[in-house]
Amino acid sequence: MIKRAILGAGILAAGMWGASSLASAESLTMYCGVDEVWCQQTARAFEEKTGITVDMTRKSAGEIYAQLRAEAANPKGDIWWGGTGDPHLQAAEEGLTEEYKSPLLDQLQPWAIKQAETSGHRTVGIYSGALGFGYNKDLLAKNNLPEPKCWADLTKPEYKGHIQVANPNSSGTAYNMLATIVQLFGEDKGFEYLKALHKNVNQYTKSGSAPIKAAGLGETTIGIVFIHDAVSQVVAGFPIVPVTPCEGTGYEIGSESIIKGARNMEAAKKFYDWALEADVQSTAQDAGSFQVPSNKAAKTSDKAPDLAAIKLIDYDFKKYGSSEERKRLLKKWDEEVASLPQ
Amino acid sequence: MAEIRGNAASVTFENVTKTYPGASTPAVDDISLAIEAGKLVTLLGPSGCGKTTTLRMIAGLEMPSSGRILIGGNDVTRLPATDRDVSMVFQSYALFPHMTVMENVSYGLRFSGHDKKEAASRARAGLELVGLTDFGARLPSELSGGQQQRVAVARALVLEPLVLLFDEPLSNLDAKLRRHVREEIREIQTKLGLTVVYVTHDQEEALAVSDRIIVMNKAVVAQDGTPRELYDAPANAFVADFIGEANILDCEVVAVQGDEATVRLGTLALKLPARGHQAGPAKLAVRPSRIEIGPAGAPQTIAGTLAKVTYTGSHLELVVATALGDVFVLSRNVDAPFQGGDAVGIGFPERGPVLIKA
Amino acid sequence: MRFRQTRGPLEPIVVLWMAIGWVGFALLPWYGIEDGFFGFSWLFDGYPVDSKFAPALVLALKGEKLWLAPLGFLLAAPLLLWGRNKSDPVFGRLLVIGGAAGFGWLLFQGFAIGLHGWQFSWLTSLFGDLGDRQFGMGYGALLVSGAFLFLLTLGIAARGAVGGDVFVVSSIGFVVAVVSIFIFMPILMMLANAMQTDDGGYSLVVFLAKLLSSRLWSLDCLAGGNRCGVAWNSLLLAVLVGLLTMFLGLVFALVVTRTGFRYGKLLRALTVLPIITPAFVIGLAIILLFGLSGAVTQSVAGVFGIQPTRWVYGLPGLLIAQVLAFTPIAFLVLIGVVEGVSPSMEEASQTLRASRWQTFWTVSLPLMRPGLANAFLLGFIESMADFGNPLVLSGNYDVLSTEIFFAIVGAQNDAALAAILALVLLGFTLGAFYAQRFWIGRRSYTTVTGKGDAGVHPRLPNGLTRALYVIAGLWTAFTVLVYAVIFYGSFVRLWGVDQSLTLQHYKKAFAVSWNEFGIHWSGSAWSSFWTTMEIALISAPLTAGIGLLTAYLLVRQNFRGKNAFEFATMLSFAIPGTVIGVSYIIAFNVPPIELTGTGIILVLSFIFRNMPVGVRAGVASMSQIDRSLDESSLTLGANSWQTFRRVILPLLRSAMLAALVYSFVRAMTAISAVIFLVSARYDLSTSYIVGRVENNEYGIAIAYSTVLIVVMLVVIGLMQLVVGSRNIGRRGIQKGDGGWSVRTNVSLPGTASGPTTIVGAG
Repeated sequence: MIKRAILGAGILAAGMWGASSLASAESLTMYCGVDEVWCQQTARAFEEKTGITVDMTRKSAGEIYAQLRAEAANPKGDIWWGGTGDPHLQAAEEGLTEEYKSPLLDQLQPWAIKQAETSGHRTVGIYSGALGFGYNKDLLAKNNLPEPKCWADLTKPEYKGHIQVANPNSSGTAYNMLATIVQLFGEDKGFEYLKALHKNVNQYTKSGSAPIKAAGLGETTIGIVFIHDAVSQVVAGFPIVPVTPCEGTGYEIGSESIIKGARNMEAAKKFYDWALEADVQSTAQDAGSFQVPSNKAAKTSDKAPDLAAIKLIDYDFKKYGSSEERKRLLKKWDEEVASLPQ
Repeated sequence: MAEIRGNAASVTFENVTKTYPGASTPAVDDISLAIEAGKLVTLLGPSGCGKTTTLRMIAGLEMPSSGRILIGGNDVTRLPATDRDVSMVFQSYALFPHMTVMENVSYGLRFSGHDKKEAASRARAGLELVGLTDFGARLPSELSGGQQQRVAVARALVLEPLVLLFDEPLSNLDAKLRRHVREEIREIQTKLGLTVVYVTHDQEEALAVSDRIIVMNKAVVAQDGTPRELYDAPANAFVADFIGEANILDCEVVAVQGDEATVRLGTLALKLPARGHQAGPAKLAVRPSRIEIGPAGAPQTIAGTLAKVTYTGSHLELVVATALGDVFVLSRNVDAPFQGGDAVGIGFPERGPVLIKA
Repeated sequence: MRFRQTRGPLEPIVVLWMAIGWVGFALLPWYGIEDGFFGFSWLFDGYPVDSKFAPALVLALKGEKLWLAPLGFLLAAPLLLWGRNKSDPVFGRLLVIGGAAGFGWLLFQGFAIGLHGWQFSWLTSLFGDLGDRQFGMGYGALLVSGAFLFLLTLGIAARGAVGGDVFVVSSIGFVVAVVSIFIFMPILMMLANAMQTDDGGYSLVVFLAKLLSSRLWSLDCLAGGNRCGVAWNSLLLAVLVGLLTMFLGLVFALVVTRTGFRYGKLLRALTVLPIITPAFVIGLAIILLFGLSGAVTQSVAGVFGIQPTRWVYGLPGLLIAQVLAFTPIAFLVLIGVVEGVSPSMEEASQTLRASRWQTFWTVSLPLMRPGLANAFLLGFIESMADFGNPLVLSGNYDVLSTEIFFAIVGAQNDAALAAILALVLLGFTLGAFYAQRFWIGRRSYTTVTGKGDAGVHPRLPNGLTRALYVIAGLWTAFTVLVYAVIFYGSFVRLWGVDQSLTLQHYKKAFAVSWNEFGIHWSGSAWSSFWTTMEIALISAPLTAGIGLLTAYLLVRQNFRGKNAFEFATMLSFAIPGTVIGVSYIIAFNVPPIELTGTGIILVLSFIFRNMPVGVRAGVASMSQIDRSLDESSLTLGANSWQTFRRVILPLLRSAMLAALVYSFVRAMTAISAVIFLVSARYDLSTSYIVGRVENNEYGIAIAYSTVLIVVMLVVIGLMQLVVGSRNIGRRGIQKGDGGWSVRTNVSLPGTASGPTTIVGAG
């Protein structure tokens, strides 16, 4: 009886797997680096448009980069869509991604093209978002705290225990902040700033957007994140106010890359071009994502931060995206900042 | 209905030794045996003597470390239990608790190439043989101990094995049932002419059922013979003591003439069968019931004092302190006026004492 | 008549394995197929000539991959046995040599030649550049390796090992092979990986520097510093969780069995809940209750006018969540042990003038020692391996399991560091494993004898009973509160902001609609849900099967190296899921065994992670089944396979159910290992839920978990129906009339039906 049951389960399973693999005549394996809803929406939209089945995994940019490295000898994925630009650049630098010039390149914003050129056309910008922070207005009021407006405000003693930021060792967002601060204030002053900030931080989270989510739930007052993540929280109904720091700030360029040695190269290129189209990028806000699209003709939400109105620093992606600089800064942060008492 | 037949074959051990892994001494040490077809032979001995190991080697549940085992003239030394035509009745009966009595009995038949119908009919015949025809649908746990025992026997019998093995089959039954079941086993064995090898540590049981008894001690055969031979002429002190009770007394063989030895026991001189003994110190085994007790100073007696007198109903148990040591005596003369402290004399009739190896 | 002489010039079983080997060598594609193990498009896609799908024989004939050719000759070698029978010494020797050579060559070529030609530099320097490469093995290689393995075991059996029993020797060979490949090899490769430097070389210095770094071992916090090393954090947490779960488990077990408590069944049901709850869901509920804005924190702060704090993040929160999650495991271990203490021992103690207190302290409790040690060990290991709760609750209290994860996926991308952290974790759990064995020592704690045990457990002292009631009551209330929050949370629109009730989370996750093709599973959770069910339902019976088979070998068979064998099969018990996950991606991402991104790797990880439970449950029940049952089956002419199948398995229903249920539940709720192994096509519920939690979509996460809990309850119920359908004699009767009566001490989720007594033919 048991044997038959096992056999039955096996046959059933074999049937299901067989069926699913037979059905997928043309397919695309997509590693997706933005949030689930947006990933799902994009994958389904591409399926509808082209009839190509999309196998999508959502992971953080760091995870995908790690997977690419692990699978370098034998790639399993075809396209890597979304996620902060640094790991895309790193992957390009290591030759993990394919060189490809999209015919839509001239429709894009200059920063997106620059991203492509920096990488030798192994990646391209699809959206961009500025770094900043957000606060929970209820909690701020409850604790009688002044509204923070600048990076410098965050080091004031009254915010002690109210600020959350991710750990740059595990989060690309936090590394982006580290690099931004260093570029904004210079390395020495920047680290002085980080040390002062360290005193106010109640937790270094693992994931980049966790601080603003915690703020939404009222688990911390202020979270340092990308502004579009704060906007998503506002749209979701949490009492969050996004802030663009007065001193100016850094930004990320969300990118897409074709994985070198992709098994479905044609489909990957088709997707790559499709994802740069204006009307495709215009749908991002439907998924609650408020980044700035890279196609000049794409529509943006009125809730999305206007990049033109934000004082952006001239972020050196090449330098601060490189492995050596990253390792050096992280080591320094670990030794000089994280080890201090709070 | 099918009929259960006997399929008797002989069993032969040639210099079989079994040493368990990690053990320093062998469990069975260089044993040679020949068990004739159609006989009930008992392996008797204290626990740990190697009798069960010997039985399990016949079954194929243990493989000998060296030597050869033959069943019906075929070498089966390396054949596993599955492939041997031998059945076994276990001490715990080992009935499969999740199968009915009928399923238990027909279990083995399924592996012997019988079709379903034939298997069922044979199983019914087997149950009839042990008088459990109406119990086929029950679970073993719904039977009494004696009934379970009989199911186990039926299960083994229906396969018409060359040799049927019993491992202490009566030890889980109460005293009254034991006598009954052992008679039944003997009856079936004689009726079907089976070769049966029977393991027990109960000497009374062994004497009652066996054609032949093989007494084992410390991994070797201590003596091999008919019940009477073993009782009346034990080969050594161990056998004498293990089969029934015996007084072991020191003596000296003075002279040997042909088959007759002259033996000095304390103050007495006795003429006894020599049994291969030479002149020199020896030992005598004497059954308590074969010692005569009489008044002190009678001729051909050894003087002693009654140390203990116990009345048991059918006879008297007496302990006599003598120069040879304490001697245990059974007397049927329950009316004799013996009392502790009385001076008595003990005498040894012919066929009483037996010379054994020192 | 049962003298079976083999007819024909060649043993049938040799012919069988040769045939299987040749099918693998000459008919099936040698290398792995891209669209997965169960994809069959290769049949129409250039097979058998296309090198991608060609069988080894065709490849060899085409002059490609010539290193595969020797396998063909070795597969033909058994033909030399023509006309010889099993007892011929040449028979065994030839099979042993042929099988071992074939299996060895298969492995060697697999590891030596990879995607870039020679895998080892010494081979390149010896033979020069190969100029060719190969991918992961496929069907063909699978069958051929199976054939060589079983020809080898046939040979070993023919040479008289384990009484010449082919089934037993083959089973041992099989279990040893799979355990080596799926437990030892990954761990060893991870060890090698830990020594690797960034540039691909190996360096002991770098390894030691990372191993001994202050991030791991710093003791600053003792000296008033900022924080302690991650290793100490994990150790402290695990020890505390082990002790607390052991204590609470004992309290519950005593309440249920020794105090005349009437609602034992209810309590048992309640304790099953946390076991079938994905771990981090409890963490989540703790935040909703005790976080800075949590319901409890806020109301307490309001009532007492205290400033609410983030106290729950870190050690306190982790401790609460893990103790809540793992106490039931300790309870299930201990209840069997508490019941297993023979009443006559306690009665004896009382007749020797010990009071109830003295009896409890001096007799009952010491007799429970092995159970207590076991419960502690389980709590310790579970805590060490727990990934979900630290993910949401750890605050700044870093622990190894999450550090391992972020070492791999975080911005550091340091797989070597992950491997080192995993080794430290493994060191702790193995250490605990040995400490436990050492503590129990060699003393025998068996209190169940062959004799029927007729006594009644004495009641506990009144004071103790009251204390137990209070503790159990409080803890039960707390558990109920947590689950109420989970249940309620799944219906709340936005926790903490908008408390209106809604079904939107369920709709979003599990919506079903009809369109022209039939049912359209439009909810976002369906894909991962079906995958999870599929993987769990496939792996559960396989886990139970291999576990019980191993148990059978351990209990019923004697063979050389049995101790090492037992250790090997139990090893994965002490390996935390995170470590399995890391080692599997390291080991099975590249040829010869290429499994990442498949469903098979998930199934395998579940099988080998949960196998020890099957083994333990099997060993426990099997040692209670009289050996004479199998022996009598053998003497009745059944072979050992038929005996295993018809006598032992049916008597192992409870163990089988335990193994089935446990592995099913684990496959549904585990996160630590699978988070590394899920892929686009095979995403699992737990990793999907973690994604939702990361995204603040608590409503969906909780709704999904609630559905999982219900589904698990239903499936467990079905399993119980299917497996436990036939009565095995007198159940639950402790007084056998002169027979032996014993209990199963392993009761697991779903089988919490109390001790099972199998009365053999008593």
